[in-house]
Amino acid sequence: MSVPAEARKLVTVRGNWLLLAIAQLVVVAGVSGVLSRRDDQRAAVAHVGLVSLFSLLLGVVAMAGEYRHRTITDTFLAVPARRRVVLAKLAVLAPAGLVFGASASVTALTADAIWVGGRPDLGALGPTLAGGIVWNVVFAALGVGVGAVITNVGAAVAAALAWLALVEGVVAQLIGDAGRWLPFALGEALVGLPNNADRVTPWLAGLVLAGYAVVFAAVGVASAVRRDVT
Amino acid sequence: MPRAGDSAGRFGGDSRAMTDVVFSGLSKQFGAVSAVRNLTCALTPGVTGFLGPNGAGKTTTLRMLLGLVGPTAGTATIGGRRYADLPYPRRVVGALLDATGFHPGRTGRQHLVISAAQSGLSASRVPAVLDQVELGDAADRRVRGYSLGMRQRLGLATALLGDPPVLILDEPGNGLDPSGMAWLRRLLRSMVTEGRTVVISSHVLAEVGQIADRVVIVDAGELRFAGPLADLGELETAFLRLTDGVR
Repeated sequence: MSVPAEARKLVTVRGNWLLLAIAQLVVVAGVSGVLSRRDDQRAAVAHVGLVSLFSLLLGVVAMAGEYRHRTITDTFLAVPARRRVVLAKLAVLAPAGLVFGASASVTALTADAIWVGGRPDLGALGPTLAGGIVWNVVFAALGVGVGAVITNVGAAVAAALAWLALVEGVVAQLIGDAGRWLPFALGEALVGLPNNADRVTPWLAGLVLAGYAVVFAAVGVASAVRRDVT
Repeated sequence: MPRAGDSAGRFGGDSRAMTDVVFSGLSKQFGAVSAVRNLTCALTPGVTGFLGPNGAGKTTTLRMLLGLVGPTAGTATIGGRRYADLPYPRRVVGALLDATGFHPGRTGRQHLVISAAQSGLSASRVPAVLDQVELGDAADRRVRGYSLGMRQRLGLATALLGDPPVLILDEPGNGLDPSGMAWLRRLLRSMVTEGRTVVISSHVLAEVGQIADRVVIVDAGELRFAGPLADLGELETAFLRLTDGVR
């Protein structure tokens, strides 16, 4: 099985560790930005969820990067059943998203403790952190699917970022209420945002997001199987 | 089972049928371009030179054999099976396709350990193949700093990981200096005395003329010749005649 090999691929690329480190800085800055102005610890630690952007990029680059560096040739020579390659990536990237989410949670709690000057209230912040971690796990898996469909790593990263920064907002305005079911909105629902009555419950949000990941993975497998590696 | 010291080498004898490479009506259409047209021929143990001008369809043919490119029609098999249907393909076929295919940030050793792991091969093969291609000293440097010749050696090491009876080498001489070429010839010779099937694609005729027993010549995606090198007479003259070159 190629899961151990996929894990090794991930940890032998320094850029991935850099991504993990930058994510921590973003969390510290995000937590500090909120707590320096108001005492909303839940909104502060919700930045763990935004680290999912890094998890998404991690997944995209893990898959599309194989095409960029042409290591995909070696990978498919080793494992001609391409479906298994994509599944092995998912099996490694989902836990990697967990690592990103969990480490960001520790960082967020540490930063929070420093700002508040005491032990953070885990009971109050726990659900937000758990939602943030799930957001990371699902987005890392989603990234693998995106990278398998759009194998040009630059284009895949641009598409992923453009969706989150711009396109989803525009689409949400077009479809009104249904915008709650778009990926980023579901991620926000996972960490309990926006704080109003008609948001999707975290459980349902996690479930639908996982559905997105499954659909993208399926399209990714179909695309990887059909594409010639020239 | 072939015995060590067998005159046909350790891959000779009964295993021959298991390693025969057969193209049967193989065709590939890329949009409007016919890259390979109805190619039929068989390759047997020994060194086969796979020759043709640039763009003749050599690389596409080899990539179809390895399951990387899907044929539009026909089949390419190894011992009667498609590459994708081999239980441990890397124990049957080793391939060097080009000097790319390495993550620049990984070391040569990391690349080989990953390759062995995903191929279901023991990591204990890694030092062995590093020795075989004489890359041991550079094994723990990042591939980013490798010369083209070192990348070729690393690619060859990857191909040898599974100790396969069939070796497919696409332009293996690229980037090798004269002493590197001499080393490659010696290595391939030893592969052949062990009874392996070695296929070398090239457009450098002199390179192939020195080591091949048989040649397959393709041009514009079509087979032009398959047979013993000795049957061709002077290789360059024959090559140009067969590929619509001058002379």
